[in-house]
Amino acid sequence: MRYANTYHALAQFGRELLEKKTLSQGLPLISSYAKNVMHAERCSIFIYDKEKQMFWTTLSDGVQKIVVPATKGLVGETLHERKPIVANTPYEHPNFLAEIDKETGFVTKNVITAPIFSSKRDILGVFQLLNKEEGFNEEDIRFMIFFSHYISGFLELTNDYLKEEV
Amino acid sequence: MKKLNEIASFGKELMGLEKMDNVLDLIASKAKELVNADRCSIFIVDNEDHMLWTKHSDGIGRIVIGLDSGIVGGTYEKREAQVVNNPYEDERFLPNIDKKSGYTTKNIIAIPIFDSKQEVMGVMQLLNKSRGDFQEGDLKTLTFFANYVSGSLELVLLQDA
Repeated sequence: MRYANTYHALAQFGRELLEKKTLSQGLPLISSYAKNVMHAERCSIFIYDKEKQMFWTTLSDGVQKIVVPATKGLVGETLHERKPIVANTPYEHPNFLAEIDKETGFVTKNVITAPIFSSKRDILGVFQLLNKEEGFNEEDIRFMIFFSHYISGFLELTNDYLKEEV
Repeated sequence: MKKLNEIASFGKELMGLEKMDNVLDLIASKAKELVNADRCSIFIVDNEDHMLWTKHSDGIGRIVIGLDSGIVGGTYEKREAQVVNNPYEDERFLPNIDKKSGYTTKNIIAIPIFDSKQEVMGVMQLLNKSRGDFQEGDLKTLTFFANYVSGSLELVLLQDA
């Protein structure tokens, strides 16, 4: 099994992650680790704001925030379905937001998402990777599910509970 | 807030461990400390054999029970934490375990531990709070704690399988 092989790397990553005191310090580490392991070009972590019905995410520096509506796109679909989504031909997917590619000039070739659950089984956020050369497969879904769960404690702690100390 | 900071630093220690026994021991001792409980057992779900087992339980050795037995089985079936402050009046309670061990259970809190697929992979059971009964605050702390350790626990279980 893949997890057994990457066990040491993952445990090492976990230790490094928990050294980070705030969400904005942790996000770039999560993103670079996930991109490396999955051979993906981009990683975004969308944090769900239930009150405002929005997701926010950060640029690669982990600081600058972007806000997106909670109902839109593959991320919105992930929130609604509460399960991972793979789109290896995103432009043919009804919920894919091609406008964002147009605005940014980035070309999305394939997408994988997974919900991140809190300790109360609510959705805390959505984890997304873009552009893996050969496309995303079943094993990638398993990794996404596992990895989203693995980082959920850190995300919940820093986002929900230690917010005021950030 | 102090508790959450404590859990954060505990997380680092936990992720440094590689053997399941050590991981279970460390989680159990931290859980007791967090809610001032006298004992803690962590039951792992075995879906093939339809039972819940403990690697070791404080003071009593290995326990194996059915997925539907006791407060722990109830926690598994309901997928919800159970606070039982009068166990001898709860029909699900298994007094035989007390009889065998000579221990007297005064109150119980049992928390489901969910895996990444949102299935219950284990139940964390704490017994006998040092003063008074288990409260709402204990429930909140342990619910967060169970999720916080669940990634590490799933990782060692996969490794062990």
